[in-house]
Amino acid sequence: MAEFSASVYQNEFLPDGGTDVNAIVTITCQGAGTAGQSGSGGAGEIIIVDTSGSMGPATMAAAKDAAQAALAEIVDGTWFAVIAGADRAMLAYPQVSSGPGMTKMDAQARQDASAAIGRFVGSGGTAISTWLDLAGQLFSSVTEITQRHVLLLTDGENRERPGRLDEAINRATGYYQADCRGAGTDWQVAEIRRIAQALLGTVDIIPSPAEMRAQFQDIMRKAMARGVADASLRVWTPQGAQVLFVRQVSPTVEDLSSRRTPVNPLTGDYPTGAWADESRDYHVAIRVPAKAIGQEQLAARVQLALGADVVTQGLVKATWSNNSELTTRIDQQVAHYTGQAELADAIQEGLAAKAAGDEATATTKLGRAVQLAAETGNDEATSKLRKVVDVDNEKEGTVRLKRTIEKADEMALDTASTKTTRIRKEPS
Amino acid sequence: MTCPSCGSTVPDSARFCESCGAQLGQPAVVPAAAGAPPPADHPLGDAPISAPTRKPVGFLADPPKAAGRRPCGECGGEVGPDLYCLACGTKAPSERDHFEEQPASWVAGVCDKAIGKSRNEDAMALLAGEAPGSRAVLVVLDGVSNSVDSDVASLAGARAAREVLRVPLPAGMGTPESRDAAVRKVFANAVAAANTAIVAVTDPDSPNPASATFSAAVLEGRRISWANIGDSRSYWIPDSGQPLQLSVDDSVAQEQIESGVAREVAETGPQAHAITKWLGRDAEDIVPSVGSREVEASGWLLTCSDGLWNYISAPEAMAAQVRATGTTTPLDLAQALVAFANASGGHDNITAALARVDVSDLGQNDRTPTPGGVPSDG
Repeated sequence: MAEFSASVYQNEFLPDGGTDVNAIVTITCQGAGTAGQSGSGGAGEIIIVDTSGSMGPATMAAAKDAAQAALAEIVDGTWFAVIAGADRAMLAYPQVSSGPGMTKMDAQARQDASAAIGRFVGSGGTAISTWLDLAGQLFSSVTEITQRHVLLLTDGENRERPGRLDEAINRATGYYQADCRGAGTDWQVAEIRRIAQALLGTVDIIPSPAEMRAQFQDIMRKAMARGVADASLRVWTPQGAQVLFVRQVSPTVEDLSSRRTPVNPLTGDYPTGAWADESRDYHVAIRVPAKAIGQEQLAARVQLALGADVVTQGLVKATWSNNSELTTRIDQQVAHYTGQAELADAIQEGLAAKAAGDEATATTKLGRAVQLAAETGNDEATSKLRKVVDVDNEKEGTVRLKRTIEKADEMALDTASTKTTRIRKEPS
Repeated sequence: MTCPSCGSTVPDSARFCESCGAQLGQPAVVPAAAGAPPPADHPLGDAPISAPTRKPVGFLADPPKAAGRRPCGECGGEVGPDLYCLACGTKAPSERDHFEEQPASWVAGVCDKAIGKSRNEDAMALLAGEAPGSRAVLVVLDGVSNSVDSDVASLAGARAAREVLRVPLPAGMGTPESRDAAVRKVFANAVAAANTAIVAVTDPDSPNPASATFSAAVLEGRRISWANIGDSRSYWIPDSGQPLQLSVDDSVAQEQIESGVAREVAETGPQAHAITKWLGRDAEDIVPSVGSREVEASGWLLTCSDGLWNYISAPEAMAAQVRATGTTTPLDLAQALVAFANASGGHDNITAALARVDVSDLGQNDRTPTPGGVPSDG
């Protein structure tokens, strides 16, 4: 049985008249087990491989190999299916025309599915909305599946009437999770990130076919380790308070604020998807009406809920004090993740400005990003930034845009922008 | 051990239940040396008279315990298991930080941490007979804040004194002088019991042993008797007419007032809160000043800590505040006085214990019995 725990990092002391409370809540899951084995329902896995005509022979060969390797990671007994995606989606395995569109994994199914993948041929365009919709239909054809995960690989830009993809994303949101990977450099990071963020998954670039196999194996292993099907971050705030934002800040930055589902007038749920043995950090910011010096009150109860059951809770507090030594202190965790969130924004805005030809803004934003990455010890961001800019002064954030940049490096910086680092924690 | 209020398991050393906030355990019981001769420092050691023998008829029961968790003091909402209000998030005070007692409809008190303090070192213990005007005991102790565990000590002391005052005050041997001497003796016993309890819960190695003030008032019919050590106070506040401060502080401020300094000056000076007598391991003199008087009109007997009187020290000011509330319900008045002190800054723990005296409840026979127990007129 999975066990959850929560710890809160914050400076609870507010000055006279202070209203805004910031806290980092770390939620840790232990003993998650294996997907579909915890008794709360079956797990379903769908592998979607882009089979449009843009997939070159080398990429296609690598994609087939990687998809077959991913099959090997799917635990026997797990419901699965394979979709070949082009300008429409085709159910490649199981090859059925009626009844459930998924089958349970065993040695024979794995062999047959591998063979089906081996017959993939690239042709046609890219209509990702049809892929997402077919995945949803397949999941819904097996009622016992409660944990739904998709691995999606594409290599090109979506070629559909604007809005179609967003509609499909909306239909899938809250129903299944998706980890998305882009092969090569012809796909749009922003487009695929939109899918991954809405579907509570990750996005990354696979610049060379050789890396595909390891990436697929890794994604599928992680998916199979998520033994806790679906959980929500439940946030209670007192009457008269306002939730400024709720953000996941580790392992990646994801703003959940707009994804609130009300539970009651004071409580809302934010989706977190499935959990493996892992730890995630959330940054909650609450505005409460100021109280008199010396008063203490609860600003938020931050809980993890599995269905209706609350499995852990962290308390975010506010205490008004006239001791400026207490009230001016900024919690290390809050400062760190505030910097990491700003870093993600600076990278994305900098790259967008660069793409739009606004070099001045790009230089300022990416310079700020270099500064923040250094300050917050985000070495991955630092090394990826250095492939896009020449750094004159890291501390000051003065940089020059490189004249020639590998497209893949720029995309890698973009996809990695939301990844955060952690700092050592001392309970506050 | 398990919490008697909610049944959760709590560590044996816990003073409060982690899950419901209820106060745990009884204050340390003062060991009685059964069978052994009283030690030399025993209050009855070589007293000229025997300890008063008392009929059990006057025995007063403890006030009933409040059932369950009180609703949120801020908004009236339900308080969650994490001790914060489920509606407004206000932290519910622990049973030690804020408690109320109402042993009878006409007697009640509130003991509150105050918004400016982090711990409630005031303590209160009340008793009352059911019939209005019959018999009430108000005990207030104010733990001294720079001493260790003075919150535990003050409550232990207040409850120990309450035990002594549970039975009616003695009437003496037939003369007012002998009655006064007997009452004085009982109050001395109550103070000694409080002191013993305070010392018993004090860590013997503590460099800052717990100490506390002591103020008790007993109402029996029309007669009020009081005893005092330190600067907690008893007031008599008639509904109209001249209010009185009954007890006399043992404080530097009081000494200054007696030497001619104006009250406002003395009570706001640098030594305003320095007390010259206290209870505790380092106490030098624990004989209380004692007094008594008969009341003729309806009004309030108030025993309080300096957390209240700091803002309205003069009897007239206290009376104005009491009369302004316009209530004759003691719990309402106690809450109002505590709220007033908090609104005035709440710089120190606040205790207000009140007994309502209504002369219409008191027949002629309730005039203080003549010593010897035979009513003189009636």
